[in-house]
Amino acid sequence: MAKKKDSEKHEDGQRGGKYNKDDADANELENFVDDITDEELLGDVLQKRPKVSDGVDTVIIVDGVPQVNPERFDKLKVVITKIFAQFGKILNDYYPKSENGHTKGYIFIEYEKHESALEAVTQANNYKLDKQHTFLINLFSDYKKYNDIPEKWEAPTLQPFPERPNLQYFLSEPDAFDQYYVYNVNSHIEVWLNSNPQPTKLVEREKWTESLIMWSPLGTYLATLHKQGVVLWGGPNFTNVLKLSHRNVQFVDFSPCEQYLVAYAPLDNDEQKLTIFDIRTGAEKRSFISDAPMAGNVLRWSKDDKYFARIGHNTLSVYETPSFGLLDKKSITVNGIRDFSWSPRDNVLAYWVAEDKDVPARVVLLEIPSRKEIRANNLFNVADCKIHWQKAGDYLCVKVDRYAKIKREKGDVKYSGMYFNFEIFHMREKNIPVDSVEIKEPIHAFAWEPIGSKFAIIHGEPSNNSVSFYNVKSGQAPVLLKKLDKHFCSHLFWSPAGQYIVIAEIRDSGALEFVDTADFTTMCSTEHYKATDIEWDPTGRFVATGVSSWKTKGDTGYWIWSFQGRILNRFNTNTYCHMQWRPRPPTLLSAKQQKDTKKSLKKYTSQFETKDKMRMTKASKEVIDKRRKLIKEFEEYRSKRLEDWNKQKAERMAIRSHIDTDELDSDDKNVQVEKVEFLVKEEVTVID
Amino acid sequence: MKPLMLQGHERAITQIKYNREGDLLFSSAKDVTPNVWYSLNGERLGTYNGHTGAVWCIDVDWKTTKFLSGAADNTLRLWDVATGVEIGNISSNSAVRTCSFSYSADLASYSTDQAMKQDCEIFIVDARNDESFKSSAPILRMTVPDSKVTSLIWGTLDHTIITGHEDGAITQWDLRTGKSIESVKDHQGSINDMQKNRQGTMFVTASKDKTSKLFDVDDLSVHKVYVTERPVNSASLSPKYDHVVLGGGQDAMDVTTTAAQAGKFDARFFHVIFEEEFARVKGHFGPINSLAFHPDGESFSTGGEDGFIRVQSFDPTYKEFRFDY
Repeated sequence: MAKKKDSEKHEDGQRGGKYNKDDADANELENFVDDITDEELLGDVLQKRPKVSDGVDTVIIVDGVPQVNPERFDKLKVVITKIFAQFGKILNDYYPKSENGHTKGYIFIEYEKHESALEAVTQANNYKLDKQHTFLINLFSDYKKYNDIPEKWEAPTLQPFPERPNLQYFLSEPDAFDQYYVYNVNSHIEVWLNSNPQPTKLVEREKWTESLIMWSPLGTYLATLHKQGVVLWGGPNFTNVLKLSHRNVQFVDFSPCEQYLVAYAPLDNDEQKLTIFDIRTGAEKRSFISDAPMAGNVLRWSKDDKYFARIGHNTLSVYETPSFGLLDKKSITVNGIRDFSWSPRDNVLAYWVAEDKDVPARVVLLEIPSRKEIRANNLFNVADCKIHWQKAGDYLCVKVDRYAKIKREKGDVKYSGMYFNFEIFHMREKNIPVDSVEIKEPIHAFAWEPIGSKFAIIHGEPSNNSVSFYNVKSGQAPVLLKKLDKHFCSHLFWSPAGQYIVIAEIRDSGALEFVDTADFTTMCSTEHYKATDIEWDPTGRFVATGVSSWKTKGDTGYWIWSFQGRILNRFNTNTYCHMQWRPRPPTLLSAKQQKDTKKSLKKYTSQFETKDKMRMTKASKEVIDKRRKLIKEFEEYRSKRLEDWNKQKAERMAIRSHIDTDELDSDDKNVQVEKVEFLVKEEVTVID
Repeated sequence: MKPLMLQGHERAITQIKYNREGDLLFSSAKDVTPNVWYSLNGERLGTYNGHTGAVWCIDVDWKTTKFLSGAADNTLRLWDVATGVEIGNISSNSAVRTCSFSYSADLASYSTDQAMKQDCEIFIVDARNDESFKSSAPILRMTVPDSKVTSLIWGTLDHTIITGHEDGAITQWDLRTGKSIESVKDHQGSINDMQKNRQGTMFVTASKDKTSKLFDVDDLSVHKVYVTERPVNSASLSPKYDHVVLGGGQDAMDVTTTAAQAGKFDARFFHVIFEEEFARVKGHFGPINSLAFHPDGESFSTGGEDGFIRVQSFDPTYKEFRFDY
């Protein structure tokens, strides 16, 4: 800008022609009008010029402070300092006083850092000192802002409504086919529809994500992670629905009702920053800095998105939405808390506390928001606990690893004589009775039936595992239903609809066993060699097994099976890494409607069978058409080549002594028929 | 039907071949003695004694009078089929990897391995009789500097030969000029085997890149591709049906660490035109190194790393099987 003005002026000067040529600079100055602002010339320097606000942004004004007489002033000062020193180092404070020495009810506090001032404003605003006094805190620099509010109110301009695609479209699929994504090497992502008889590819995109890709828990969104943040995709064409900025995001977690999203990003100093976003507006709701390791969810949500909680040092902090403040402004102090888990059905959480000398370990059920301990269970000789909620929230199982002996060596704790207890809490009964199942052998897996009241355990010495199924009934101890002995297995995969289970060995052999737990018949015993992952579709109709190229080399790909273990499709691609079925929201049908549907299943099956048959005929017709085309093309080529071959016959005969060898029996003159006799059997019969 | 198990070799089978009529089956292994068997009952007819190294390749002429074998003892030997007498012996500078009679069987070609300071070479020799065979100078000698020859067949009549190479290339050589006419690279891995169809207008390859492809003998164009999950060591076209059989499996050196199931040592049948697999035949405990259809198309044989040769006659269900189209 400045340069351009210069050249213009130069021309002006020449036209004027009144100046001395020896001193061009001076002449230029003659009709020079200083119309260049300082900003144009020194813009970059001026930005650094001191401002009125400098040094004030560390100052806060606290209103609502008690007005006290000089005698009590020192006491007040002690209280105030104690409250505000927790946000950072206080450099100065100023208590304005009236003539008689009484404080005026407001004070100024200057912090060392702007961040401390901000923290004080967000944390201590509305702080209740006592019944009469509530602090109202503002940044000093904000006062100017509030002063500048224009007298006349201007109506905000109407923002155009951004049309969102129909995010639920996938549920209106007429044949209720499910979708899944396939993650290939180099972030090559495909989304497939598991149609019958062959899945159809819906979308295929290169480099769709920079690290992770995942469905939201109700299947509405597909989330991809990038350097700058998270992108949510949805609708029939997987259009970009929302972008959330969170640098270096490594992991995301949705709240169960998909209202909020938590993004996790590592910071330089081994800490991680988590930010909660509102998915509908994209607004940042709250962020935390956590020093917990990057694995797993630090924040855990209650089933209705109303609360979320995290473990601190000897504390459990429960926050409420939509205010995102601490519930009752206080964390719950729990000394030695190790882990917790929300009930999937109620606003109840279960946590456990480690043993400490003579104080036993405890498993506690806590009702939120009342903070009432609705059940506590004391346990001795506890090495570890795992909390397993049944999906319906009717039962809670706590797997307790117990020891017979403990040895402490240089800070290391060694347990021996391990045995295992499964503490079953009957959540729906009065006083929540607890039953216990004890197993002496090592436990490899535990899983609740998602719908129903059974649970399965893999236990035993590594080479000789057994699978035990128990049933839980109200008012009764768990009953052992069935023990399947000598099974080579490592993992349990229940159908999301219950009843069916896949018992699998997914570390080495990839052995799969499809079991119907209604009568414990093995429907199919098969294998997907080296399988690393097993995923049920959300309806419990299909099972996908995969061999991921992240975990092994060679034979990668994924196979889709029916729930009975019949192989439907094999996709052997050497780029396959991961697949995930698109989840579905819970059904909207009432229990009665579901029951009625099940009753009249016979009526519907014929309908579906016809439909399937039609699709099969259509598919086989397509295959046949394709084959006919192939045959036609190949026959054309082959007959052309045969023609060449026939033309060469003379030449061929010439070099093979004029003997026709084109057919096995075409040369009958030189054939010697040889008789071959086989000795079939030799029998010696002794004749008397 | 129960297969015939031919047990005569002490080491892994390297190549098996039927004679033109199919009454005899010739075999070689990493031991020193090629064998000949009655294909009908699996009885051993005789052996060809003389080699002092693993025998890599064999061939028999169309009249079943002469038998050719090349071995790691750096010799190519010519034998009388009927008597088992060695009638010719050519020494080379490195192991003989491939050998083949021409259509007329007047000529034979063989190739040698790349070794220390020794390039891979292709030779054409006169194989009419022992005199011509013994005359030391080959008719033609071609050096292959880049990637060694791993399989070799004669092209149409006696004019050309086609070589498959370790890097997956396939080259056609004109014997009149001694130059390569055409070279294609449709495979990513070593060409382990090439076998022509009955008329000799097409050939099927077997490659380490886990595929098998159908080529035209004259212009080396690819017409069909058969995909598996394991390296393919050998492939053969049925003389009777539009079927091709593929054999192979996990590399021999990885086999000890994996279960037989995972090695996939089955012989796998594909439809030539649809490229669809329709049958598998189990049997070997190791990879199949060589396989061949009987010239009448009613049986086939496989030779495996496990040292066995299995002669399998087809069940009626095989002959009745039809694809819908």
